[in-house]
This record gives sequence, C-alpha cells and structure tokens, in this order.
Amino acid sequence: MSRYPPVYPRAELPEEFRFLCMLHNVGAITAERSLAVADIAKWTNEEAPTIQEHLRRLGELGYVQSVRKDDQDRFHVSVMGIRKVLTLYS
Amino acid sequence: MKDGNEVGVVTLDFPGAPDYEEIEGFKVYRSKTEVGHPNFLTWAFLFNHFLEKTLAGANRDCKFDLIHIHDWLVGPAGIGGKHFLDKPLVCTMHSTEHGRSSLHGPDSYMIDGMEWWTCYEASRVIVTSNSMKGEVCGHFHVPGEKVDVIPNGVGVEKYDVEVDRWAVRRRFGVGDHEKLVLYVGRLVPQKGVEYLIRAVPRISGRFHEAKFVIVGEGWMRSHLEWLADQIGQRWRINFTGFISDEDLVALTKSADVLVVPSVYEPFGIVALEGMAAKVPVVASQVGGLAEVVEHDRTGVYVHSRSTDSIAWGVERVLSDPGYRDWLVKNGYETVRNRFSWKAIAQQTAEVYKRVLGEG
Repeated sequence: MSRYPPVYPRAELPEEFRFLCMLHNVGAITAERSLAVADIAKWTNEEAPTIQEHLRRLGELGYVQSVRKDDQDRFHVSVMGIRKVLTLYS
Repeated sequence: MKDGNEVGVVTLDFPGAPDYEEIEGFKVYRSKTEVGHPNFLTWAFLFNHFLEKTLAGANRDCKFDLIHIHDWLVGPAGIGGKHFLDKPLVCTMHSTEHGRSSLHGPDSYMIDGMEWWTCYEASRVIVTSNSMKGEVCGHFHVPGEKVDVIPNGVGVEKYDVEVDRWAVRRRFGVGDHEKLVLYVGRLVPQKGVEYLIRAVPRISGRFHEAKFVIVGEGWMRSHLEWLADQIGQRWRINFTGFISDEDLVALTKSADVLVVPSVYEPFGIVALEGMAAKVPVVASQVGGLAEVVEHDRTGVYVHSRSTDSIAWGVERVLSDPGYRDWLVKNGYETVRNRFSWKAIAQQTAEVYKRVLGEG
C-alpha cells in the first residue's frame, strides 16, 4: 500500500465555497447589497440552518461580512471573498 | 498609447471602485451587474449584457476602432460589440476549457462552445505560446494564419527593489539557516501543487532545513493542507493565501528556488516572474512553460505529475550554487530581452494595424 494518501480523496469544491460563489453571483458584494438569511434562502434554495452554517464558516474565514440593518443581520461577500471567488472562476 | 492611441477598458465593478476613472492615461469604465443569479453561467451571461451596455456608453466617449477581449468570459459582450459598433474583434485566448479541465458536463461543453464561437467571430486570435496555438487550431479548427503568438510580459523593473531578504524570510516562517522553496499560483488541480507537496518528504530528506511557502488561493486549499498533514509535513509548509504585490516581490526575491509544477500551463508567467526576481526556476515541461524555460540554461525542467522528478529538480538547484547562479543570470537576461512589455505592446499594435488594414 502507498505511504501517501490518494491524489484527490477530498478534492472537491467544498459546499461553503459553492455557496460563496452563489452569494457573489447574486450580487451581494457590498454592505448596501447585503442580504438577510431569508433572502439568501430564496435565491439559493438552501434551508436556513444550512445557510447559517455556511455563513458562520465563511465569516470565520473572512470571506463574508455581516451588517445590522432594520433589526436584521444581513450578509455580503467581503473583498477577500470576492478574490476567493475569482480564483475559482479564472 | 505612446503612439497616440487611445485605450478604453470596460470591466466589472468592484466594491469601492468608481464607475469611471483614468489610470495612467487609460480610460476605465466599470459596469455594474444589476441583476444576479446563483448559477455561474447565467451570472456570466448577465454580466456580459451589462458589459455590453457599458461598452456602448464608453464608445460614445472613445469611438473605438476595434474591440479586444480576453477569453470566453467576456465573449458575448465582445461579439455583441463587434456587431452593434460594426468594428473588428480581436480575442486573446489564454487557455481553453478542454485544456483546463477536459470536457466534463453540460456547463463545460457550453464554455467550450463559447470559446469556439469567440475564436470564430474574432478577426484575429492572439495566444501566448505555440502550445496554445496548437490547442486553438487543433481543437477549434481555427486556421493557423488567423492566430498570432504574443507571449505575456513581465516588468523587470518591478523586481528592481532592495529587500531585507532575511527579514522577509523570517516573516514567512523561514529561519536564516533554512532553504526557502516557493510556490506561487492558484491552488487548483491544473497547477500540480499536490505533486510538490508530495515531493516534500524527499526534498527534506536531502535538505533537512528546507521550508516551503505556498502562496495563493483556490478551492483545493483545504485539501492541500490536509494532504500536508497526512504526510507529516504540515509544519514545514506555510500556506499564506493571498499576499500583497509588495510582499510577493519581496518573497520571490528572497526564495532559494521557485517551483512551477503545473500539469497544464498555456503560458507560465510565474516562471518569468521568478527569472525577473533572479530566483532559479524548476518547472514542469508542459505547454507554454516548455517555451518560457530553457532546460539547463534559464531553469530546470521536470516531469509533470512526478514527485521524484520535482524533488530531483529542486535538489539539483539547491545543491550547486554555481549552477544556481548560471540559471539566474541567463533567466534574467532572457526576461529582459524577450518578455518586456514594450516588445509585447509593439507586437500587439502590429496585430491591430493588420486588423484595421494598416499593416
């Protein structure tokens, strides 16, 4: 048996990055264009708990930022997140 | 521009950037994508529509004589512009979907079709290497006489700065007595980074003091970090993510060797940047890299996807300072003479003249 792990055992686009791309593509790239979880659910067809988990993870990585508006947390892709998305597309 | 030409750039907006600005004489028009969609291709076609609108507005100011686009992502806007402005289209193809990832599903086939369509509509197609010319002519059946090979350029003056090499290395986790092996690029399969990581045990077996700095981002990053951990070498490897241009120049100048382990590479500008920074380059002998690097003169070729070969190349450079200096000297002269932006701008202007019937 090889000493090393196989080449691509987990080399798939992680779900949270697929989600990051969707958030980018729907235009949530500035505070003014940030979206609430309910809005994101409409765009992405994802369940709210899944969205919240993605947002939490992406927030930790610095790819998503949140703003408080009309008593709601709203989310948008950060500049670092936009750069991340562009590495996935180029 | 020095010849009295006017250049307008139509591009997508970015948070904080103005809708219009002039940068070193270039007129930059930024397009807002007012309607989005989570699906990548739908989004791409939507932003092309908005780019087309911005192009029409920019044309009222600039009166373009021709439109030059880069790659399929802006193909629809360029093709639309060609027809509504009645101006010729020039397209630079930097890579193909077929080469990047093979064709693997409906979206991929559509991108492939878009690339063909863009080449078909263009009066002339520019590619950055003979390897890419072969790919474009072979896969899309573009006539060879319609294709011009113009390499990418590197500004050597960017690297003509003093850096405190030891301080830079320390900042990236490399001690004064250690060897710095550098990778710069996107963390995606085509760049072959995992083969470099798999070569770490062999390289560090010979050079116990070797440290590896991986600069860049990409969707494979978490996998590569996991891989480094699995082979027990995570502590030797610093994944930096994005770094500033200034840091990148300083880090490249401070490296002992730059490795470009690509499995697919239409051009290979990172290798040129290494040569401009006077760092020895170890590169896979694939695609455009095989035209940019000359084995045993400006760099060292290794087999792509071969960890043993990559380790051999790195060891070859690290173990012989005289050989290293020879590569660095030749590499720097090659970049300065063959890949200056001035030379590349002249070649591009010749293509424009030909398209406009002036050449």
